[in-house]
Amino acid sequence: MAVEIKSWANKFKSLTDNDQTIAAMGKYYTCTYMWDMTDRKVIIDMHDGKVKHININPAPMDAYDFALRASAQTWREFGQPVPRPMFHGIWAASFRQDLKLEGNLLVLMQNLRNFTVQFELLRKSGVPV
Amino acid sequence: MARHSPVTGRYVTIDVDGMEYKVFYLHNGRGTPLLCQHTAGCHNHQWRGLLEDEEITKNYNVIAYDLPRHGKSDPPHNSEWWKTEYKLTAEHYVNFIVKLADALGLKDPIFMGSSFGGNVALQLALRRPDRFRAVIPVEAADHAPGFFLDWWRHPHANAAQVCASGVWDLMAPQSPEMDRWLTWFYYTQGSEAFKGDLYFYSVEHDLREELEHIDGRKCPVVMMTGTYDYLTPPDVTENTARRIKGGVYIEMNDIGHFPMSENYPVFRIYLKEALRIIRERTGG
Repeated sequence: MAVEIKSWANKFKSLTDNDQTIAAMGKYYTCTYMWDMTDRKVIIDMHDGKVKHININPAPMDAYDFALRASAQTWREFGQPVPRPMFHGIWAASFRQDLKLEGNLLVLMQNLRNFTVQFELLRKSGVPV
Repeated sequence: MARHSPVTGRYVTIDVDGMEYKVFYLHNGRGTPLLCQHTAGCHNHQWRGLLEDEEITKNYNVIAYDLPRHGKSDPPHNSEWWKTEYKLTAEHYVNFIVKLADALGLKDPIFMGSSFGGNVALQLALRRPDRFRAVIPVEAADHAPGFFLDWWRHPHANAAQVCASGVWDLMAPQSPEMDRWLTWFYYTQGSEAFKGDLYFYSVEHDLREELEHIDGRKCPVVMMTGTYDYLTPPDVTENTARRIKGGVYIEMNDIGHFPMSENYPVFRIYLKEALRIIRERTGG
């Protein structure tokens, strides 16, 4: 069942801001990215390892550094406590499923350690689609 | 009382294609030599579980080396290696392994490698079946395109973290968190060699037209792949094994691309089966 968007955003922010693994090396984790879940889009603004803002209703001209786009079903798979093979990360899903990585991927690579940890918090928060 | 491990390390110097390499290796055990190759951009500590496995080292002389440019094996001492881009070739890789086996006086060794070590195991079965008792290609395939990427050593990103987190989801979510982070840690140490290793892995290694020339009846080939490996998924490895005469395929459940270091207790179950098959076919 899809999680309601506002409560999802609050929960995801809380999970991120209290994550010890991110905090351990999150000092310069600063970037803005879109998660395009087909039925929903969010823009997450990270600043020094904390969620500065989650935009749950992006407008056409709202900016971000990079985007992850996939079907709602793929995002639901990401949100499982133990994802199935090939839905267990952004590399796996972009090599073998329908996930597309777009935008300035250099920013993703510069923040890959923390982004990867944060992405897996979806297994605890679920997804809003 | 000091808590020493039975594993010991040594250096051996060998010449390969004009390159002088001082090679570091770890070893423990007695019996049939089991020569182990780490994955691309990593080092021999990935085999730490196997090296201390009392049941296996009772009958196998486990040797895990660092390929030159990895871990404690330096780049060649007789070459200005920093003036050329490192790109590992199949021929040099095979020649290195054979020279190392010769230098260590290994009689009828089994060769086991994972990922780019698994792919070179297939190359050994093709090129030097006379030199090896059997090969165990782990997480391997006839062809593994797509991973020769500039991101691995891009000067505008933290290469150590890109390599380590870039391979993070090659591991299964079920594998113990400690072992996944240890594997991540190893990967922070090898970023300068990773891309050059992957030249072999993703570009030069292509046996799609050569598999029928591998004879698994002369040199048994036992392939094993984890269900969470997205680079060479189970069906890709299985199709490779099916095209090799006498090839064997073993699927490993709930494990990924670094099985020996991300979850050794699970990996050893499948490894024991591979060794049993090899004993059955070769008597050793």
